[in-house]
Amino acid sequence: MTQTQNSIAIIGRGLAGNLAALALSKSLGADWRILQLGTSDGPLEDSFYGRVTAPTAYNFLRSVGLEEPRLLLGSATTFSLGSHFKHWVGGASWMQCHHSPLPTLATAPLRHQLTRLKLDLEPLLVSAQVAKAGRFAHPPEDPNTILSRAEYGYQFDPMEWAALLDHDVADSTVERIESEVRSIETSDNGIASLALENGDVITASLYVDASGPGRQACLAVSAGFAGDRTVSATTHTAPASQIGPACQIVEATPEGWTSTTFLQNRTLDLSVSSYSETSTNGDSYLVGLGQLETAWTGNCVAIGHAAAVVEPLTPAPMMMLQRDVERLLALVPSGVSMDVERREYNRQYRDDIAHISLFLAALLKSDDMPEAGYWREAQSHQPDERLERKLAHFEHRGLLVSYDLEPFNEEDWTILHWGKGLRPRQYDRTADAMIDTEASQTVAQIRQSIEQIVPRIPPHGLYVTKLKQYLERLAHG
Amino acid sequence: MPPFPRICILGGGSAGWMTAAALASKFHRVGADLTLIESDQIGTVGVGEATLPHIRFFNRTLGIDERTFMKSTEATFKLGIEFCDWGKKGDRYIHPFGDYGLPVDGLDFHQAWLKLRQAGKAHRIDDYSFPILAAEEDRFKIPEGDVNEVGSNFGYAYQFDSSLYAKFLRGFSEARGVKRVEGRVADIKLGATTGHVEALTLENGLQVEADVFVDCSGFRGVLIEQTLETGYDDWSEWLPCNRAVAIPCESHGELSPYTRATARTSGWQWRIPLQHRTGNGHVYCSDFISDDEATAQLLGSLEGTPLAHPNQLYFKTGRRKKFWNRNVVSIGLSAGFLEPLESTSIHLIQEGITTLIELFPSEGVNSLDVDEYNRRMGLNFERVRDFLLLHYIATQRDDSEMWRHFRALKLPDSLEERLQAWLSRGHIPAYEFGVFLPPSWLAVMMGQNLMPTDHDPRVDRYDATDLHQRLEAIRMDTRAAVSATPRQADFLAQYGAASQSPRARAAT
Repeated sequence: MTQTQNSIAIIGRGLAGNLAALALSKSLGADWRILQLGTSDGPLEDSFYGRVTAPTAYNFLRSVGLEEPRLLLGSATTFSLGSHFKHWVGGASWMQCHHSPLPTLATAPLRHQLTRLKLDLEPLLVSAQVAKAGRFAHPPEDPNTILSRAEYGYQFDPMEWAALLDHDVADSTVERIESEVRSIETSDNGIASLALENGDVITASLYVDASGPGRQACLAVSAGFAGDRTVSATTHTAPASQIGPACQIVEATPEGWTSTTFLQNRTLDLSVSSYSETSTNGDSYLVGLGQLETAWTGNCVAIGHAAAVVEPLTPAPMMMLQRDVERLLALVPSGVSMDVERREYNRQYRDDIAHISLFLAALLKSDDMPEAGYWREAQSHQPDERLERKLAHFEHRGLLVSYDLEPFNEEDWTILHWGKGLRPRQYDRTADAMIDTEASQTVAQIRQSIEQIVPRIPPHGLYVTKLKQYLERLAHG
Repeated sequence: MPPFPRICILGGGSAGWMTAAALASKFHRVGADLTLIESDQIGTVGVGEATLPHIRFFNRTLGIDERTFMKSTEATFKLGIEFCDWGKKGDRYIHPFGDYGLPVDGLDFHQAWLKLRQAGKAHRIDDYSFPILAAEEDRFKIPEGDVNEVGSNFGYAYQFDSSLYAKFLRGFSEARGVKRVEGRVADIKLGATTGHVEALTLENGLQVEADVFVDCSGFRGVLIEQTLETGYDDWSEWLPCNRAVAIPCESHGELSPYTRATARTSGWQWRIPLQHRTGNGHVYCSDFISDDEATAQLLGSLEGTPLAHPNQLYFKTGRRKKFWNRNVVSIGLSAGFLEPLESTSIHLIQEGITTLIELFPSEGVNSLDVDEYNRRMGLNFERVRDFLLLHYIATQRDDSEMWRHFRALKLPDSLEERLQAWLSRGHIPAYEFGVFLPPSWLAVMMGQNLMPTDHDPRVDRYDATDLHQRLEAIRMDTRAAVSATPRQADFLAQYGAASQSPRARAAT
């Protein structure tokens, strides 16, 4: 096959490969040739992208043509106000909800007043209360309405989104070759060419490995996969006549954890346990958690699961995939030398995966863990100085320590710490400027306005059904 | 609940009074006991007469009325800094407070501009920046309205007399219960077991006890260095300028809403226009020029008659090894020194204060707070340092020993990587914690003739005619917005911020 200087070969047709192909074809002009290799079934492990997104996914999905109406009408996607952790390690249950910046009372952030008054956070989080009541409505823009403080992502089936995108890629300028890669020729610069099962030989200026945890291309040029541990995943789908709540439910089990996601016509269950303790089951598959030390080696960039696999306990895997694609778009090499792009990409990649891992480690951390293998293994991380700092400072005085451009924001961290039962020993003394009754009243007002609004919000299922009817009428004029 | 710690601030320059005002504003309602010790016999340096837009947030948090503040401090508005003779002699550019142009479908404006420039169809990038064009014509208005429109997407700061600002904040602080104690420190009492500073005894015999001391004593670092011997990281290797000579002069003509920094053979010279006079100074490296010669260069290029004798300053660029050590927090020149090329002196004071408030040891000094304070301030100082160094190394000058020194300098890796990312494709790595955002880096690199050889390939999906039309629309809108903007002097008067004092004139 021919090679032009501006050509990108994407290996893989799962969610990551399709997202990258579409995003690249929309971003780059006609002087770029974009090839996608692989057959239509994405990797089985795509379910490890999880079933929820963070609010930041909204604009990203729109940028690749996955507007909300399309997601609702063209797939079983529903809304997600967060993840409801139930009976988590340490016995805590809480809504890890998405929320806009929390208010400040008398110059002190809300959490300090709560520490002082020994009050709980969750009743003051509108997105938590709406989700727990099984309800949903779009947050209005009017900042005087308490519901405007809610933020939302989606509950979705990654296979379904991959399929939606698969049609879009077919209609795009992306050239597809329906064949798997058989072998890879390497050179000093990385990949020299790809030999396909159909006999074609492909060369490109840049190779994007989106082949999933098989990492077919990147392992040919780099051996730097830092495996963390292997888990066993079991998925189960059940039809549902009614749509469940606008949140994913995650429960700890003695063997690991189980998540349930509520789509339009079905619920999806995912159970994760230790590899070592899995009874071999027809629906189970093994997933190696961990990440490449450098995602971009030579002329080959690994994205999605080819770069890193993290547990889908939170929207973390989709956050990471989104950042992978965004980083790639921003650093498509403009010339033959890719030194600058590679270095900058890897710098950002390392920060992102490290920051995401901090959140997961904090979520899994427990001083009181079940004896079973999964929980023991989940604790076996090297202590990370950055995480220790976050935890120690929150516990010490409710301080949120942040690093550059973290994917999880301050609200996510506050809700996580609080949810897991971490309470600051001290509070910001300016909270004392409000007398107790005044502070209690202000907090009570927030709680009451949430209590008043929740019953007026429709059930999630009804809202989705009505919204779809409206969108369909709109679509048919 | 233990009583709120007693706080003693040593030194009453801009650092001291800014700290006093902010701590009093934050903590006076919870019973903070604040004392500030200063001596009329000790002069203040007051190098930082120009500020960054963040100062507005500082003043607003304190509830300070902008007009009153501006009248009291002879303040002018500032839209950016004009850099003269930096890339090469005869060059000039303005580093504005604001972005260039508007993003093109989410892509950085400068990428579209780079493509048009390669096609020979771009105007100078300054023509797409409201604050630059307004500054060039001495015009000013307050940004209002949609921040996604040209004419609103900019920030502003002030140029003021920092001794008047300190005086202004003194009034503010005393009204909120800060006790001012006049005197010089004669003796310092350390706790036998803790090593903490427990009390300061003044020459007049008065003793001030406190739980937390903020060292705003300037370069000497009376508590942080002379007492606790904290140590200093010397950054002269990167930024060798170590002296300055300052002098105010008469101002004439238009009031410029920008600071000027002109590169010299052995340093650089500032010009800061206030309402009543102009501040000037020459920052230089004593390895390359004598004090007399430096003063002569300064006096030879003043735009008005001098209003005072030259004031000589000595410093060493760097930072205290620990900004916070035991129960002493250093803020201002006692914490470190970075030359005021980008008006960061007052900003670093402000960062120190904000960080101290967030980590305030209200229940006693805790090593966690100390470590986190030092981590955050270390990052701030280091990132400012790299940005300052950029000005010296992004240059084609080799006409003096100093410029040749910089040409031979091995850069810190982080800076070298930034330069390469810029030069190869106009990319600027972003960070979240640090004062200078990508548009600032862009302004200096472009202004000093570092032009990328290529651009982000994503802009190639637009054809040049389409891009040209989009950019022309932005340029025309910018031009129109500037033409509708009043001259700064008129704006000050109409806004109610013009000071009552006449422009200062030298005694004849």
